[in-house]
Amino acid sequence: MIIIAILIGCVIGTLIGINAPVIPYTYSTFLAIAVVAALDSVFGGITSVLKKNFDLSIFISGFFCNSILSIALTYLGQKLNIDIYLAALVVFVGRMFTNLTIIRRHYIEKWMNKNEESEQQ
Amino acid sequence: MDNKKVISIILGVMCVLLTCGIAIQIRTTNNAGTMQSTNTAENKLRDAVLKSKEQYDNIYNELEAAEKRLEKERADVTQNNGELAELENKIKENKKAVGLAEVKGQGIIVTLNDNQKISSSSYIGDPNDLLIHYSDVVRVVNELKNAGAEAISVNEQRIVTTSSIECDGTVIKINGVKIGTPIEIKAIGFQEMLINIDRQGGYLRLLREKYGLVANAEKKDEITIPKYSGLIKFNYAVTK
Repeated sequence: MIIIAILIGCVIGTLIGINAPVIPYTYSTFLAIAVVAALDSVFGGITSVLKKNFDLSIFISGFFCNSILSIALTYLGQKLNIDIYLAALVVFVGRMFTNLTIIRRHYIEKWMNKNEESEQQ
Repeated sequence: MDNKKVISIILGVMCVLLTCGIAIQIRTTNNAGTMQSTNTAENKLRDAVLKSKEQYDNIYNELEAAEKRLEKERADVTQNNGELAELENKIKENKKAVGLAEVKGQGIIVTLNDNQKISSSSYIGDPNDLLIHYSDVVRVVNELKNAGAEAISVNEQRIVTTSSIECDGTVIKINGVKIGTPIEIKAIGFQEMLINIDRQGGYLRLLREKYGLVANAEKKDEITIPKYSGLIKFNYAVTK
């Protein structure tokens, strides 16, 4: 059911995105950093599910707060004439890679265990 | 069960937001034609350029519509009047002659481009030999005119009596508009005559064989050449 909801959400989102008006080029930086922040939250959520300490309210607040905070920081950076969003980008993408590593290790270990068990049998 | 429903609805909404953002972002960057720049000032400049381009396009479309309306009005007025109809035809002929009307017909297309095989960094000789220059365009246009071309355009820029073909650094300026390679020169006229531009010992052969540039001519049965989009104005010349 969750997977179906995610798939439907993705399809609806793509359809809306294709038909929505294009935002001005100046603001595309904000949207880009918000998307990266949201992606980071999604990977963090998957990792916490694997670690079995997933909490919905933390996940949702992370998703929105990270996006809004990163937009605010980018805006502040523009006002101060310093590219703060680069720092946000480094943090988010770095965390994404860490989470991806955790996910990968989890599944590889699971697979290895399965293989060993079948060999023992 | 209820909890699961809530979770799936929330996840669905988040997916909508995420994919929507990604899709809009992709379309925005596609529209701008380049990758996201890291420089804010540069972004602002690009935004300004895009905006003024859009404004120009809008105004141009309005002009086009107004001209169409004018044409229609003229046609309506001159419908039942032989004398006026004759004048109307004269206007049309004159417009065609000065290049203010879109024309189509048989002709040739000449394509010019820089040397695609050798890069200028690995070339020992003069790197200018590897490029198409404004003088090449001038020469080809001149030859086409000599061969009786009735209408010529270079990269959709109509060549009219006031047109100039100038060198502008890395680009070529025609009618005040900057154009770059590849250069496509369209000419309407008697095909067999025009295609002689690619004759033995001709200029195209020289560019192609001696310098290794891309210089081709091909016949086309239907070519559309746009009208001149600028203004032809006389401030000093009066009819005698």
